[in-house]
Amino acid sequence: MNAPTGAEPSPDTLAALFEILKSFNKAGIALTPGTRFSEDLNFDSLIVMEFVAEVEDAFDISVPLNILPDVATIRELALAVEKIVAEDK
Amino acid sequence: MAALLDRFAPIMSQRDALFGDDGVNPFQVKMDQVLSQTEAMIGGRRTILVGTNNYLGLTFAPEALKAAHEALDACGTGTTGSRVANGTYYGHKELEDSLCEFFNKEHAMVFSTGFLANLGILSTLMGPEDYILMDADCHASIYDGVRGSSAQIIRFRHNDAADLDKRLNRLADKPGNKLIVIEGIYSMLGDKAPLAEIVAVKKKYENVYLLSDEAHSLGVLGKYGRGLPEEAGCEDDVDFIVGTFSKSVGTVGGFCVSNHPQFDILRLMTRAYVFTASLPPSVVASATVNLGLVKNGGALRKRLMRNANKLHAGLTAIGLKIASENSPVVAVVAPDPVMAVAFWRGLIEAGVYVNLALPPATPYGYSLLRASLCAAHTEEQLDEVIAIFAEVAAKVGIVAPAEKKRVAVG
Repeated sequence: MNAPTGAEPSPDTLAALFEILKSFNKAGIALTPGTRFSEDLNFDSLIVMEFVAEVEDAFDISVPLNILPDVATIRELALAVEKIVAEDK
Repeated sequence: MAALLDRFAPIMSQRDALFGDDGVNPFQVKMDQVLSQTEAMIGGRRTILVGTNNYLGLTFAPEALKAAHEALDACGTGTTGSRVANGTYYGHKELEDSLCEFFNKEHAMVFSTGFLANLGILSTLMGPEDYILMDADCHASIYDGVRGSSAQIIRFRHNDAADLDKRLNRLADKPGNKLIVIEGIYSMLGDKAPLAEIVAVKKKYENVYLLSDEAHSLGVLGKYGRGLPEEAGCEDDVDFIVGTFSKSVGTVGGFCVSNHPQFDILRLMTRAYVFTASLPPSVVASATVNLGLVKNGGALRKRLMRNANKLHAGLTAIGLKIASENSPVVAVVAPDPVMAVAFWRGLIEAGVYVNLALPPATPYGYSLLRASLCAAHTEEQLDEVIAIFAEVAAKVGIVAPAEKKRVAVG
């Protein structure tokens, strides 16, 4: 949401998130960058926490809980992850 | 247009699926008569209470009852004011002085509940440049407290000092202060924080503070009941201790103690302290007296742990899976929420009250029958509890009594 209009995450970041999401995508819906965690994947607060922990491990980052309300789609998460990775360097 | 609370529809259907029939449900348990610290009349039955967090059994301590009666007569039923307006009486100050003496700390603030103490302190302590690193299994009041903070909130893996180390290391170059938040004993499974390891990690970095919520460990751990920091010998390394009077202290209210030199400004900046009514004088008087009983409660702590070990051993012998160890909390794992509800109902109908705890309020997605022991439980009561657990577990099909093993479910 905070990303500039038209910003796109790298395909590698998206692919890594798609991979993590496999085990959370119980309904087996087709994942796209625009897939929404709450509405499309039915994530509740507990699943969000488990999922975020796996994302943190995969990218070796800490994702502050503060940003979660602004992350609705896989694209937004990918951009947020890339921002944290860049800041950590 | 959706109805006001339609967003809770999935929870409502889950609730109705689990409790929708006519059976008794945990949200309706009503104690018609309180017989003692360990027994009450529920649904016309004498019921043994094994889920009250009344660890030391001080709710009927004669000294505290007397002090409460006297304060009630002297000061009335309530203060009708907040701590910073007309709600600070001599008793509140005495209680804060007693807390300072009990914990050997410079400063103490008394809140109206433990929940409010966490909400107030955690939302106020850290600023916009700062970081809070909290254990993932922390209590809801800690989650709600940090949500009100302007700091960045980071979770670390439950009881994992190495994961905390990794996360602090990533922040090492950031200028802000960091606050680690843990609990002495975690309520659902009764497990302790690895405090010595966490303190060692804390000391590796600059500008790191440590806050421990001793809600379940106050009165339970340490020779003088000062909780995990006393037991672990780390009291000087814990910068802020938050706690409650609603468990071992046997009444209600919350507190925070600290040696931080600027602590007193929190009295003006903490909204959950400034903008809520203070505790009634009778509650304050009983908390002050019971704090003294907690300090000298070595014998009660021994009985509490003896009782906990007896229940743990008894339920293990039946063949139940227990997720807690060496703790005043004995958490029995049921195979799934449906079995857990059936188990819980069987127990309450046979005269045993425990807590039913279901995901998402539980770690690892466990469905739990959570028992908490009291120093005042007698051997006979616990024998009865164990016998009833055995009977109900067999009836519900969680254990086969003859072979003492779990039946596969689903």
